[in-house]
Amino acid sequence: MPSPHRFAAALLTLALLAGCAARPDPTDPDAVAEFKQNNDPLEPFNRTMFSIHQGIDKVVLRPVAVAYRDVVPQPVRAGVSNVLGNLRTPVILANDMLQGEPRRAGDTLGRFLINSTLGLGGIFDVAGDHFGVRGHSEDYGQTLAVWGVGEGAYLFIPVLGPSNPRDLSGFGLGIASDPLTWVGQGVTVDVLTGVRAGMTVIDTRESLIEPLDAVNRDSLDPYAVLRSAYRQRRNAEITNRLDNVAPANAGATGFGVGKGIVPNP
Amino acid sequence: MTSSFHRRLLLGTGLGLAAAGRASAQQDIGRAASFIQATGQDLVAAINDTRADLPTRRQRVASVLRKAVDIEGVGRFILGRWWRQATPQEQQDYLKLFEETLIRNLSARFGEYQGVRFSLGRSQQRTEDDVLVNTIIERPNSAPFALDWRVGDINGQPKVVDVIAEGTSLRLTQRSEYSAVIQQNNGSIAALLTAMRRQIQQLSAREQGGR
Repeated sequence: MPSPHRFAAALLTLALLAGCAARPDPTDPDAVAEFKQNNDPLEPFNRTMFSIHQGIDKVVLRPVAVAYRDVVPQPVRAGVSNVLGNLRTPVILANDMLQGEPRRAGDTLGRFLINSTLGLGGIFDVAGDHFGVRGHSEDYGQTLAVWGVGEGAYLFIPVLGPSNPRDLSGFGLGIASDPLTWVGQGVTVDVLTGVRAGMTVIDTRESLIEPLDAVNRDSLDPYAVLRSAYRQRRNAEITNRLDNVAPANAGATGFGVGKGIVPNP
Repeated sequence: MTSSFHRRLLLGTGLGLAAAGRASAQQDIGRAASFIQATGQDLVAAINDTRADLPTRRQRVASVLRKAVDIEGVGRFILGRWWRQATPQEQQDYLKLFEETLIRNLSARFGEYQGVRFSLGRSQQRTEDDVLVNTIIERPNSAPFALDWRVGDINGQPKVVDVIAEGTSLRLTQRSEYSAVIQQNNGSIAALLTAMRRQIQQLSAREQGGR
């Protein structure tokens, strides 16, 4: 697997080759304001990436997610989701602390201890269901934002979904700082790491079947809707304005940041 | 209520003005919340009334929305900078199509929303000019979710001006969507109107199939 940074660099080079969006007419202040508001100077490149993603999604991601839902019963899927979420807690904890949120850090630590033991290795969310300590998501992209790092130009990356340089860096940091990335070596570890990554993608896509179907079916321009929804939702997450829980598997970038990007999840 | 009133008295004259300001804001919040409560109950009743036939239910939903939503204001907000570039005829057509889209979007989901329940959430807050009313939407077999209604004061009447789900404002998202359609068609507002007409046809087809 190429490192995310090298991946990002390659993408940026591609973007430069593909050219930038037409600048708005500088004499039209409304057009200029909208151009800034959209924050998408690489729009033609991003739209190309989006159509590549839609192709992959139609042929691979969505069918796999639908099959997963059909074949695996709901309690098992919930268990998988919980295990993936529990495996992410070290990264969430680190970011709670880096953002100076001791209460949320305490929640995360408590959840990890309870769910790893009473929850049988994270299969059951005992902390949430019986102790009322609900999970939340944090990632390095959010921490960078809290520290004042700007998001940079909007990016759409096939399979990962909507992002930007800040959240993409956060995604890389999340992998690099994950203790499990550095535990052991050998074929077994590689296989387990691969299984975890694959399950994260399937679990995320499964949770997004309805919202993404709705966007693709009802929207006049799914690309623009996802861009707007991602950036708004991301801002709400950064300020911790949403006290409802992000899904256990929420990642630093892409669709994984949450279920329900549209009002009917 | 009484105890907080006493506490306010004890705070002394210095804070008297602030308390008065807060009192009038609170009244506003109360009015907005009961307005949303009533509107929500009306909508839920219309959606869940399975005895009525489809056109009747759609009619009822349409009349609730026309009464409760600032359709012209929201429509103009969403068309944004393109409003002034549209001809008067285009503006008129757009507003009609926008209203139709709003109604059909809900009526096409009647099947999906069967058995929906609606209740006021815990936090109601004031923003610059509007009140955000928090509600919880529950449907059978799916997790409840929070929906915030932005209520503005339009000519002295409370009206819905936006709906916010999980930090995502519907009017901002839709503005982005419509503007993208116009831009992708070299600034043609007629292209957006055509796309909206097609969308309404699709929605009404689904309405027939989805009940």
